[in-house]
Amino acid sequence: MASWLQHLYALPRDGRDTIFLLVVIGWVLVPQTANLPLWCSALSAAILCWRGWLAWGSRPLPSRWWLFGLLGLTLAATLFTHRSVLGRDAGVTLIVVLLTLKTLELRARRDAFVVFFLGFFTMLTNFFFSQSLLTAAAMLVGLLGLLTALVNAHMPVGRPPLKVAAKTAASMALIGAPIMVVLFMLFPRLAPLWGIPSDALAGRSGLSSTMQIGNIATLALDESVAMRIKFEGPPPRANDLYFRGPVLSYFDGREWRHNSIRLGARLGTRLLQGQKTMAVQVDGPPVRYEATVEPSNRPWLMVLDMAATAPELPGHELRITNEMQWFSDRPLTDVTRYKAESYPNFRYGPTAQLVVPPEYRELPVGFDPRTQQLAQEMMRDPALRAGGSSAMVDSALRRLKTGGYRYTLEPGVYGEHTADEFWFDRKEGFCEHIASAFVILMRNLNIPARIVTGYQGGERNSVDGLWTVRQSDAHAWAEVWMVDAQGVAGWNRVDPTGAVAPGRTGAFERLRVAPGVVGTAMNAVNPELAASFRAAWEAVNNRWNQWVLNYTQSKQLDLLKNIGFDSPSWEDLAYVLLGILVGVSSVGALWTLWERQRQDPWLRLLHRTCDRLRKAGLDLPAHTPPRLVAEAAQRHFGATATALADWLLLLEAQRYARDPQASLATLQRQYRQLSWPQ
Amino acid sequence: MSARLNIPSLINPFAFARRRFRQWWQARLPQTDTLTLTQRNVYILPTGPGFMLAITLMALLVASINYQLNLGYLLTFLLAGSAVIGMHVCHGTLRGLSMRLIAPDPQFMGASATMDVNLVNDRRSTRYSIGLAVLDATHEDRWTWTDVPAQGAANVQVAFKPTHRGLQHVPPLTAETRFPLGTFRVWTVWRPAAQVLVYPMPEHMPPPLPPGEAIAGGAAALRSQNSGEFDGVRAYRRGDPLKLVVWKKAAKSLASGSDDLVSRDTQQAQRWELWLDFSHAGRHGNTSQVADMEHRLSRLCAWVLQADKLDLHYGLRLPGREISPASGEAHRRRCLEALALC
Repeated sequence: MASWLQHLYALPRDGRDTIFLLVVIGWVLVPQTANLPLWCSALSAAILCWRGWLAWGSRPLPSRWWLFGLLGLTLAATLFTHRSVLGRDAGVTLIVVLLTLKTLELRARRDAFVVFFLGFFTMLTNFFFSQSLLTAAAMLVGLLGLLTALVNAHMPVGRPPLKVAAKTAASMALIGAPIMVVLFMLFPRLAPLWGIPSDALAGRSGLSSTMQIGNIATLALDESVAMRIKFEGPPPRANDLYFRGPVLSYFDGREWRHNSIRLGARLGTRLLQGQKTMAVQVDGPPVRYEATVEPSNRPWLMVLDMAATAPELPGHELRITNEMQWFSDRPLTDVTRYKAESYPNFRYGPTAQLVVPPEYRELPVGFDPRTQQLAQEMMRDPALRAGGSSAMVDSALRRLKTGGYRYTLEPGVYGEHTADEFWFDRKEGFCEHIASAFVILMRNLNIPARIVTGYQGGERNSVDGLWTVRQSDAHAWAEVWMVDAQGVAGWNRVDPTGAVAPGRTGAFERLRVAPGVVGTAMNAVNPELAASFRAAWEAVNNRWNQWVLNYTQSKQLDLLKNIGFDSPSWEDLAYVLLGILVGVSSVGALWTLWERQRQDPWLRLLHRTCDRLRKAGLDLPAHTPPRLVAEAAQRHFGATATALADWLLLLEAQRYARDPQASLATLQRQYRQLSWPQ
Repeated sequence: MSARLNIPSLINPFAFARRRFRQWWQARLPQTDTLTLTQRNVYILPTGPGFMLAITLMALLVASINYQLNLGYLLTFLLAGSAVIGMHVCHGTLRGLSMRLIAPDPQFMGASATMDVNLVNDRRSTRYSIGLAVLDATHEDRWTWTDVPAQGAANVQVAFKPTHRGLQHVPPLTAETRFPLGTFRVWTVWRPAAQVLVYPMPEHMPPPLPPGEAIAGGAAALRSQNSGEFDGVRAYRRGDPLKLVVWKKAAKSLASGSDDLVSRDTQQAQRWELWLDFSHAGRHGNTSQVADMEHRLSRLCAWVLQADKLDLHYGLRLPGREISPASGEAHRRRCLEALALC
């Protein structure tokens, strides 16, 4: 233990700096590992360790061929994993490997700079996956680390302690923070400059266009507001409060995806639009409401089932897919308000002639054999066969109700056969597990089925009467193609979670997150303290979401309104920013002017004395100390300079004596009363 | 590398204009031995890595916009803010620094001359990583790096190779720093007023010293064989080599209260004198080839050093100037100065 510490302290400067830089890079990369392909994480870790070992023993760097080899391997592996070297995920993978590979090539100063700047960019890629407070804190530390390494690289003298560089970096960041705040508040938030890849917005807070088992369970922890609804008239019944989001109908064994991703048929959906909306038959009075949606960065609009007509959203071009999902032509990057009209009573798919696309029955091969067996047993049951699809659905729901299934937020990690595990082994899960297992069973029964994600429920704010829907209200349910007794076919909503936990959909009961180890311990010691800690943490998180993550152009404009602009636009933002820039620069210029004139008052006094003596004919070199000036003056002017000489000695004592007799102010007064030698 | 670059730069009109601008600019700078750096004489420009950082910041900003990452904006702006502060820190590293040149000692041509520069920091914080170099030097390791402690001073030695003989100004110096981020280069140009005297380059492997010349009117030829024998003693004269002093007698005379010294009196010192003559310095061995002036001076310089080492009594004859024979440090210096300024 002690010996390696000693070795660390005794490392030559090069080795020490390299190891510090590697630690910082490791710190920046660690949060990424969950989002990177396994090979990429392993390769990066191996390279960093290898480089650290080289630096530890001051061994020579490997030849360039190693780098080229590893780079080629990485490109091939990236192509294999992501099917492309472009796009966000492939790009992140490449950048991470490039950053680590570059550490093997730290030969010249320029190489070091490349590492630093790649490091900054890698930091940003972390935010693709998480923008939480913890990520921000980790990246702040990473940024300070990289700045420290950069400062340290510019201290060529000796072996300066890293503390000095860290102090400089921290103070630079601290003084730079106001610049950051001003720019952050006032830099106009622009819409994306060009089309972003479809995978760009995955992994953000909120619903996504894919559902991996476990996605929604993480959303259940997020208490932030997704949208607020103002109903005209009374809100609909609790059982009707289904806000329709992405419809997922393609399953690959691990992940549910939106159909269009697979078909790539955006144009097709648009062509089908007119015909398909006709397929919805509505009934009864509509529910009218106004939705205020927090920025989701997604193009879809959440509407109550079933909105047959387009919501009113000026400035956006809206269209509906054949899965009855409303899309805008661009992501909602700001707080958006739209009016919509929904019919809780609807029939979707009035005619038996409507052909169900075959993909609603497709399942990946080789998954969930036991669920398949269960389906075959059910199909052999004559009673069920006679009852048709609705009997099958009822049977499955009955199984969920009576089979000892449990609704929980912590079902553990599911393996390969998710439906098998849910139906037979674990028998517990969150809404996504239940819905997924249910749809897989339906498809095994040859009944078309799909998953719908969205929000279910919400709560009424007693102050303003608005209906608040939070991220924790995210939900997944099923839609099954059923033919009823009259032979009319259509998509019917089936919420299997309701069968397992009736309270979830009826009374909006929510699962609470079980406290972790620390939380349990704290609860045992002092429940009140634990509660206040949790409340504080939630408050901080809430502020973070509100002030940082959801700080949008409308909030910027509100800020300007508060300053006093009548109808601010983004140009005004730019003007304010420019104004601040000009103001700060001129203050800086004034300060420099002032600093230039500033001089040590003691020195100024001495210089004035010397100037005066020069005019009287005694030219002394600059920087003559007071005692020598006194001697020279006495030599030059004789007795007339005695008073001056005494004063000069006092001046010297003021600066250098342990207990000076006269203060600087006294000396200045005396200076004015001095009798000057002629 | 510099040699390779110089040839095209002679042809390149841009480089020519740049050189002329530099000359004009430097001629405007006052010559001073102490320089306090202020806003006026400290220059700042972004470096290559500075532009790289700017590109990185642009990339970060575009990524933040396109992916609508508010945390990305925060990162970008914090980095930009730190870079702006870094620019000020970089400029502040040189601003307010005082530099004083300590007058350099005379040097021989061909050898590196060193100048001592004293850097004084009034501020309460350390100034890190200040490099000093001769302005026109182009070799890789020309920089001498130093930190100047808070309210303290640091001494730096800068070496340069004089290009010609004689009294000359020391070359213009430059001080530079890239601390803390390396994104900006802050520098100053300083023309010191100090002058340095450059002696000729001593010839390598010079021919032996010339034979002594007989003093006019002496019977030199007769007694030339007896050279090296002492004829007696005489009173000490200024300039006598120490080894001619008769120390035994000196001890006696010092003991008896007087401080008179006596020297050995030799035939040779009386009859022969070593003259290092400019007009004789041009011959190469037996051939009567005549070398150019610098060559002669460099040979004379080597002879002066040799004669001084042998503790000989020697004189120097230059066109228009003659230094009568003597020996010792002061004499050597006088001879070398005469050679330098010839």
